[in-house]
Amino acid sequence: MNKSYIALWAVFLASSAIAATAGAVFCQDQLLFSPGHESVTAAFQQFSSLIVGDWQQNGRLFVEWQPALFRNIFFWTIVCVPLVFLVHYLAIGPKSFSHEKGEVFYFGVFTRLVHWVAAVFFSLLVLTGLTMVFGKLFGGGALVRSARYVHIVSALIFAIDAPVMFLIWVKDMLPKPYDIKWLFMMGGYLSKAKRPVPAGRFNAGQKMWFWLSTLGGGYMAWSGYRMFSFGAETGALRVAAIIHNFLGAALAGFFMIHLYMSLFAIKGSLKSMLTGYKPREEVEILHSRYHAD
Amino acid sequence: MARMKFLCDVERCINCNGCVIACKEGNKVPVGINRRRVVAINEGRPGEKSVSISCMHCADAPCIAVCPVKAIYQREDGIVLVNKDICIGCGYCFMACPFGAPQFPSGQVFGARGAMDKCTFCAGGPAETFSEKERKLYGQNRIAEGKPPLCAAMCSTKALLAGDADVISDIYRKRAFQRGSGAGAWGWDKAYQDK
Repeated sequence: MNKSYIALWAVFLASSAIAATAGAVFCQDQLLFSPGHESVTAAFQQFSSLIVGDWQQNGRLFVEWQPALFRNIFFWTIVCVPLVFLVHYLAIGPKSFSHEKGEVFYFGVFTRLVHWVAAVFFSLLVLTGLTMVFGKLFGGGALVRSARYVHIVSALIFAIDAPVMFLIWVKDMLPKPYDIKWLFMMGGYLSKAKRPVPAGRFNAGQKMWFWLSTLGGGYMAWSGYRMFSFGAETGALRVAAIIHNFLGAALAGFFMIHLYMSLFAIKGSLKSMLTGYKPREEVEILHSRYHAD
Repeated sequence: MARMKFLCDVERCINCNGCVIACKEGNKVPVGINRRRVVAINEGRPGEKSVSISCMHCADAPCIAVCPVKAIYQREDGIVLVNKDICIGCGYCFMACPFGAPQFPSGQVFGARGAMDKCTFCAGGPAETFSEKERKLYGQNRIAEGKPPLCAAMCSTKALLAGDADVISDIYRKRAFQRGSGAGAWGWDKAYQDK
């Protein structure tokens, strides 16, 4: 009876000795962190990395830029661009071309359809986007919230339509050496004279608009989706929001340029996208390299 | 006027999550939204600590700065509140907040986010005090009743303190003096730099 107790005692001692040794070997680093000696600062640092994360990296940037910078960029874009065009319209005036020399078939039915779907929903995107940027003026609430919903739906439709538009036009939109020349003479829009300007099926301005609206629009859709779904780390969301705002201002600016050119600067330009025909004189002057291509 | 602040004493917090449950249940917060959460470090190891974190009701709050529709505002007593009738759910406040306080319910329209929800310091919202609308949108208004926020009121170890900054920092100072350690409360140097 006594012997068995001693044996049990021995087994108990031996096993605890093994456990203690193993503990000391495997948990040596933990022995250094006994509750009495750990640093509060170190604990706070750990809390900060868990809770605040990488806020310092771009959170501060976002907080500094969003309240004023973005709104100012949009404000000056929608004020300055139309102002420049008003001056242009008054000082130089629109170009008009006669239809007497006949017409050139420029845009097919499908192209026009794709263009107008993009046009309608891109216009909605710009308008609702600006409504959100200047949400304070509208007092927020149902109006701005609805603008946000329209923005989301329009973005979805534009994201389907834009790739088709990209495929239709990408070949004609590739940069050519004479595009630089076009840019230097501002496409001939600074003079009233009708001298042929170096441009193919599309001029350098149209090409810039094309690449910005398709590739830029693609990034807008991607960053917008991230912001919509919160489908990224918070830091990446901030970057998405920052670029979405800058790119959005650029797109809004180019959108207004496009509107001015098609509605005012060239008489009958809007008609060509409705009927598909451009006056031969206009093609010979504004797209002088079109047939040469 | 008194400046309302939260203070979580990490030397006392035992990671029981009672504050989270009290807030969620007492304010009838929808599933998927946590106005308060507990973050733990070194769980199950020596040096284990936890901190209860929600909206800090910051001075010069980043969320107020970035809100594009001025839906967020700060009361005289420092409590930061959101007006859900104005909020458009853009999420900028979430991106701006260093503490991850703003929460968003999934909305009814195209799965777009609904209005932002966050800790109200149990001070209700901009709707009429004690009205049905206030209770439904923002939860209880315990401050108007003269009570502390639910989370701090039920904290079993009184790790979480809420109320007049002078009073709670005094309590914390006494504790720190008695313990001889744990001088600064977590987050205070960041959230309350100004006042």
